[in-house]
Amino acid sequence: MTREEERIYDGEHGWANQTCMRILVRLGQLFGAERLIPIGSAHVSGVSYKTLGDAPIEFLRTLADSGGTVKVKTTLNPQSLDSHYLRGKLEESLQKPQLDILRQFEKMGLTKSLTCTPYYLQRLPRGSHHAWAESSAVVYANSVLGAWTNREGGPSALAAAIIGKTPDYGIHKAENRRPNVRVKVEAKVHNETELGALGIFLGKTLGDKIPAIIGLQKTSNDDLKQLCAAIATTGMTNMFHLDDDKTAREKERIDVNSNQIERTVDELSSGRGEPDLVFLGCPHCSLDEMKRIAGFVEGGQVRAGVEFWVCTSCHVRRAASAYVKSIEKAGGHVLDGVCTVVSWTEKLGIRTIMTNSAKTAYYAPVLNKAEAVLAPMKDCLESALQ
Amino acid sequence: MKGRGIVEGTCTAEALVSAKPISFLGGVDPADGRIVEKNHDLCGTCIKGKVLVFPHGHGSTVGSYVMYSLAKKGLAPAAIINRTADPVVVVGAIIADIPMVDQIDIGKINLGDTVEVDGGKGVARILNHKER
Repeated sequence: MTREEERIYDGEHGWANQTCMRILVRLGQLFGAERLIPIGSAHVSGVSYKTLGDAPIEFLRTLADSGGTVKVKTTLNPQSLDSHYLRGKLEESLQKPQLDILRQFEKMGLTKSLTCTPYYLQRLPRGSHHAWAESSAVVYANSVLGAWTNREGGPSALAAAIIGKTPDYGIHKAENRRPNVRVKVEAKVHNETELGALGIFLGKTLGDKIPAIIGLQKTSNDDLKQLCAAIATTGMTNMFHLDDDKTAREKERIDVNSNQIERTVDELSSGRGEPDLVFLGCPHCSLDEMKRIAGFVEGGQVRAGVEFWVCTSCHVRRAASAYVKSIEKAGGHVLDGVCTVVSWTEKLGIRTIMTNSAKTAYYAPVLNKAEAVLAPMKDCLESALQ
Repeated sequence: MKGRGIVEGTCTAEALVSAKPISFLGGVDPADGRIVEKNHDLCGTCIKGKVLVFPHGHGSTVGSYVMYSLAKKGLAPAAIINRTADPVVVVGAIIADIPMVDQIDIGKINLGDTVEVDGGKGVARILNHKER
């Protein structure tokens, strides 16, 4: 620790800073870090009242009231409802604690981004260090953007935000970012849903290993987002490589064939009936995805008895106002700052969710008490429309 | 037994020992401090004031906040002994100010033993050993 860090550790800058410094130092000791390094940004998970319950409110309030303020740009994960559509449908007792949680975060200077895709709000230089929670964003930052972050939990990301530093361990070190297993995809992966299924399959197989994935065709970042979210859902993998580096000498090799992908899609599709919710936007939609959805629904109408939700950040929503209009005109709902997985869908009577997201399909039976139908965006849109 | 000190503080209390990992989110009732995880070997037992001995934590990082909440209500364990500390329990013990030691051979501690814990020195001492 530097002298300044020691002073914070000893409590000269108040309880909030001391507690956060103790968290970082102890975690650093646990994982063999020798120092703290400055971070460019932080992203905090643990925002939805549905998943948090009442437990953290008191801690967040104490932290905020004892001078905890963030030192770097710090974004927040989605909450349990949006301020327009779902708020009107949910009882007061679910709304108040959610507002209270957000108020504490705001007091500490966090940005009310309420998104799992904070990478659409800022440019992350390659090789820059960050402290992000939200596993899908961690894998996307490391693998697609080349920004460096460990997979933080909600509390450790918040501690890093308040100190402006993170312990130097894990994949903040170049030598720990090398692949240690080679994954050969023999299957032809046709769309984002199959990429997600590949992620679910790999997450279970890889544990916390870093794969070099070869054999995938050129894929858009939007579709890779599904692989990132899914691989982090079932595994502890923080990143993957897509390059075919002939000099790499990973001893372990895994081959993935079409059967394995098809079986994974089948297993994730627990629902056989008609969906009562068609949902796109896990992880939150990019501007380009909003454009594609708007283009598809243009002139169409959502079927009676079906809800159609598109989830994104308020940031992307603002930039996509023309697309939002098209989707809403067709009878769909663009919900910002919220995500189906962490919202109260079961209280709205939703029993079967159709989605293109393998992550949502994986969590729906547990977190939403709903069955899932997993299919690519185009099929989801066709099902939603008359 | 010498292990690694994680959170400073000393205490002497009765040991509550589990062979299974504990998830504080969903696994412990924040209202009364009882373990509620189904099929857990300590299910139904209250952790308040005990030296809680278990291999490591598992589950959501929100578990750290649950530990803080338990401490505020006076329902937290007096100390924690782990075989291998994990981030969720470490962060929880720091913010809830619960003395904690890891790298201890937890198999040597029996349910009901009186155990002295020194989180600063990383030491756990069995004062009164109960036969199984």
